[in-house]
Amino acid sequence: MINAYYLQVLTIMGINVIMALGLNLITGVTGQLSLGHAAFMSIGAYAAAILTLNYGAPFWLALLFGALVAAFFGVLLGFPTLRLSGDYLAIATMGFGEITRVILLNLDIAGRALGISGIPHSSNFSTVWILAVLSIVTMVFVGNSRLGRAFLAIREDEIAAEAMGVNSTYYKIQAFALGSFFAGLGGGLYAHYITYLNPSDFGFMKSIEILNMVVLGGMGSIPGTILGAGVLTAVPEVLRAVREYRMLFYGGLLVFMMIFKPNGLLGGVHFSTIRNWLIRIFKGSAGSPAGGSRGGTGAGEDAKTRVQEG
Amino acid sequence: MRSAHGKFSRWILFLVLALSMIGSSAVLAAGEVKIGFLGALTGNVATYGIQTLRGMEMAADEINTAGGVLGQKLVIVKEDDRGDKTEIANVTQKFISRDHVSAIIGDPTTGGTKVAAAIAQENKVILLSAGAVGAGVVEIGDFIFRNTVIDSIAAPAVTKYIVEQFKWKRIALVTSINNDYSVGLSRIFEEAVKDNGGGIMVKENVSDGDTDFSAQVTKLKAAKPDGMIFTGYYTEGALLMKELRKQGLNINMVGGDGLLSPVLSELGGKAVEGSMVYAGFSPERPSPATKKFLDAYRAKYHEEADMFVAQGYDAVKIVVAAMKRAKSTEPQGYRKELAETKGFPGVSGNTTFLPNREPLKSPICLLVVRNGKFGLLERIPVSPKK
Repeated sequence: MINAYYLQVLTIMGINVIMALGLNLITGVTGQLSLGHAAFMSIGAYAAAILTLNYGAPFWLALLFGALVAAFFGVLLGFPTLRLSGDYLAIATMGFGEITRVILLNLDIAGRALGISGIPHSSNFSTVWILAVLSIVTMVFVGNSRLGRAFLAIREDEIAAEAMGVNSTYYKIQAFALGSFFAGLGGGLYAHYITYLNPSDFGFMKSIEILNMVVLGGMGSIPGTILGAGVLTAVPEVLRAVREYRMLFYGGLLVFMMIFKPNGLLGGVHFSTIRNWLIRIFKGSAGSPAGGSRGGTGAGEDAKTRVQEG
Repeated sequence: MRSAHGKFSRWILFLVLALSMIGSSAVLAAGEVKIGFLGALTGNVATYGIQTLRGMEMAADEINTAGGVLGQKLVIVKEDDRGDKTEIANVTQKFISRDHVSAIIGDPTTGGTKVAAAIAQENKVILLSAGAVGAGVVEIGDFIFRNTVIDSIAAPAVTKYIVEQFKWKRIALVTSINNDYSVGLSRIFEEAVKDNGGGIMVKENVSDGDTDFSAQVTKLKAAKPDGMIFTGYYTEGALLMKELRKQGLNINMVGGDGLLSPVLSELGGKAVEGSMVYAGFSPERPSPATKKFLDAYRAKYHEEADMFVAQGYDAVKIVVAAMKRAKSTEPQGYRKELAETKGFPGVSGNTTFLPNREPLKSPICLLVVRNGKFGLLERIPVSPKK
């Protein structure tokens, strides 16, 4: 049986994958820099926790409710702010994050500064990873849909997208709603895993932590985001070997990565790209020379999917 | 295609094996009793963690010099949790399933302890916090203990003292509304004042991070209080007292150990002279045993031991004493003995665990700011019955 410690790190990894995928949709795919992702996470976490604790709701219903409430706030935030872009939007989302934290600090039902404790420990490895896989599938599906194309178009050139009939505000709000939904889902899972919530855990730094996962993995890339979330969850644990220098190494790693791999670990890499790599590797190992895989349909398909998925 | 697939899965297998070998490098050494230190060694709340750890290591050294625990060497396993809830959960789980610790001491903060305690309780491992003072910790389960001066016992004792000795009848209560510690402490004080025949004349809220308290102080002044209870932290406490003096309100402040920092008088200067703080520990007028501990600490770290050092030190000794009485280092084996700890003479006072596992520590030290320094005003004894 796998050690409970590794199982726990893997579970937290799964939660982070879900939240990072949500942010990836907003920031990576649609290109809207959000610095308030932790706020949506906290909304989902608190909403889900309050529903199970105060109203005895079943776990799955609480998760869904938390995610929907977060999505609702995503839309609510979207209306006034998504007419902004770039730095202005980033600042607005950051402000939203602060507002959420302060409201939670003063909300009686959220336990004010004492937070909420004694949340049932309902999340476990399998629920988290089933939902994580579902999230990944959803993200791939969205990426290949009309919606995903619109998101990409907005990221690449908002004016051109508008000219082609893409209502950018409408789609940006959709991206925010979807992204917040997954943040809220992750938050609900987090609440039912850590079992204690405090507004101070959802500050600006938490938003940055999730953003780091997306940027380190590769903005806009689903496999990259998964890898980024995985690496940044595991690294602080792996680095326990270097003791007090742990965070120094962690920070160093981020700086190093951004210098030598500014596009992230898997920037521009998609599942279809990985599939094509694998096909190429196996074709290569089956005996054909390196040039063999370049010809034929392989490269054509690769190029096609790359165009499709950006 | 089939063979290629096989090759790929062989690589995956290799990778998994390699990873698991890295993981299993921590092998349980025979003849060792492990106690895990859970706390922040870096980050915002690192001072509490570092001091607690120093106390724990000092206690372990002494225990090992005297022959260890039931013939085994005592080892303190330390991990930094940065005060981050996820990391606290990870460290706790690591202690339990990888290090197989006999007890966990930490986290010094209440919120962190709540996260860790839920995991420790589920795995039936003793967790003793040497710093968590907030409400709702030992309620998590019968494996959860703490060795701190808890506000629900200290604040009523201090309230009784100030109402009787200083004749405070009209009291102002100021809470830092965005601070969990302050909100909880205010509730206790409010009840204690009522129980002791005083009256809360005015209640005001401030927030951590505020710098302007003029509006609140104006309202306080109107109520003409005999004294003020402030339950927040030292920064706001110092600024609040400055504003009080500025507006000519000449009353003293009493608060919990959130005010206990040299910053209080650095920031507050003359305004905080006479302010009182209760704490579990004072190096002044020590007992012979405490003096020995203080001297040993000074010799090693060239500074004065504080409450966290003393409580970390005592926490290890309390756990080890219970192990010795039970002749077992298994959490299930010595849990009962630990719960029955009565009047354990520690350097931070005598500890008794009440039936609900809350610690009753006596005496409580009431400190007062004199010439910019905390001095011992009085040791207030606490009787077992409330």
